[in-house]
Amino acid sequence: MKVNTNLVLGIESTAHTWSVGIMGFDGRVYSVVNDTFFPEKGGLHPYLVKEQHLNNFMGVIHKALIEANCRIRDINLIAFSKSPGLGPILKIGAQVARMLGQLLNIPVIGVNHCIAHIEIGRLMCKVDDPLTLYVSGGNTIVSAYESGKYQIFGETLDISIGNMIDMFARDVGLAHPGGPKIEKLAQQSKRYLPLPYIVKGMDLSFSGIYTAAKRLIESEDYSKDYDLCDVAYSLQETSFAMLTEVTERALAHTEKKEVLLTGGVAANTRLQEMISYISKEHDAKFEVVPLKYAGDNGIMIAWTGLLRYRSEGEQDILTTIINPKERMDKLTVPWRG
Amino acid sequence: MIASNAIGKEKLLRKGAEANLYYGYWFGKKVIFKHRIPKNYRISPLDQSIRTMRTLNEGRALIKVKEYGVNVPQVYEIDAHNSIIIMKYIEGQKLKDLMDKIPISEKVSIFKEVGQQIATLHINGHVHGDITTSNIIITNKKKIFLIDFGLHDYSDSIEDKSVDLHLFKRVLISTHGSDFLPCFKSFIEGYRSEYKSFEVNDSDQIIRNITVIENRGRYVKRDDK
Repeated sequence: MKVNTNLVLGIESTAHTWSVGIMGFDGRVYSVVNDTFFPEKGGLHPYLVKEQHLNNFMGVIHKALIEANCRIRDINLIAFSKSPGLGPILKIGAQVARMLGQLLNIPVIGVNHCIAHIEIGRLMCKVDDPLTLYVSGGNTIVSAYESGKYQIFGETLDISIGNMIDMFARDVGLAHPGGPKIEKLAQQSKRYLPLPYIVKGMDLSFSGIYTAAKRLIESEDYSKDYDLCDVAYSLQETSFAMLTEVTERALAHTEKKEVLLTGGVAANTRLQEMISYISKEHDAKFEVVPLKYAGDNGIMIAWTGLLRYRSEGEQDILTTIINPKERMDKLTVPWRG
Repeated sequence: MIASNAIGKEKLLRKGAEANLYYGYWFGKKVIFKHRIPKNYRISPLDQSIRTMRTLNEGRALIKVKEYGVNVPQVYEIDAHNSIIIMKYIEGQKLKDLMDKIPISEKVSIFKEVGQQIATLHINGHVHGDITTSNIIITNKKKIFLIDFGLHDYSDSIEDKSVDLHLFKRVLISTHGSDFLPCFKSFIEGYRSEYKSFEVNDSDQIIRNITVIENRGRYVKRDDK
């Protein structure tokens, strides 16, 4: 045993990724191991995802322990994602966490997935009080800390940006994950086809863009007047401009001095370029969370669990229940106070 | 005054989210130049169309809603090509900045009047589209002005009006959490009272529909619905 600090083990289990991260109480990362479900066709079927996680969870924990060079008995705290996400999948994480907690007789802490994304971003990018744009397959949220909570200034009114891009990619026959493929296609075009641009205050809507893009693909003019690259380009330009506009609006309103970009879609270089531009305009420091920690991962859960444990102490095991529909702006974050 | 000196920008007052506000003069009047500057993050065809559309839309809306007695800055000139609106300079403070400086009793009376002003907009078929405490100016004589009509829309639908109120409610919760309850209550009171004098009183339906919109949101538990 080489590790001689207190360790927290975090379990991320909200959607397609089962991830386990081991972190020291000092914030040092010892290991993070992911197992991700890739659908053969269609989207995420909760039953199939659940099957995969059930088959693999033990192996992933084992691998994370080996990489961290420690034994399960060295762990001092367990954190798991309790909200928001797909119910059947959240349950696996909660059950495994409780089981381990009981076996090892150590505290178990439930963590909100969205707050975890912000907290790991603050840690990894060394920012203190950022305005966060969190864009992924499940969420599209503009958030900042204000009066005791991570307030949601803007969010999608229907589907998330990642979901919209993935659905479109699937319709044109691109395998999951569609985001990087759409990005590549978009880079080959400079031809803009108008798509609905929908911003309501600081809220967004993406379902109309999806439908309009789909119509472009189904139209008779497709592959005569324009091709898939042009549609991909227009899709990205329109939806990212919307995201950037609401982020700028929230930035002007909150007057924060740091901007954090996180979530799976944060990997898109065009989106990074756009958010970086407005950050500069408002003299704010711009940081993109490194992909390893921007996507779903166990370390963000471990870290946020640790923060909550430090400020609130142990959580009664009976209260470690999942909550698939919990909003992040309903929770207090006492460690920020 | 010499004609060539008649119009001029003096200094940058504020960099907003979508426009720069300059203080200046226009034929002897103190004015604001609202310049929707090109946003280089957007590709130019998209950028151009958004800026022109919003400039025209805002200019027209400001002129129109003034007729109904809503306090908005007088428009002097609209330059759609360069996306500039020249309007009267309103001396005062943003309600957002004032919130920490005034007693709750004063806040409550301000919000009541804001409610009346918004109701006047709605009654006449206009929605503001971006009601925030940053878009409300309080002058030294305690007169309330609504600004920033860039996301304004013409609508008679209950849904659009509810969205307008819903967005304002969200801003109040997120930015002025501790004052939210009394302020929003007073706002709704003012809103209702203005509607009373109007022959078709949709205010109850509009206000009730706010809850419907909230429940449509993401991650709202079923028991809360």
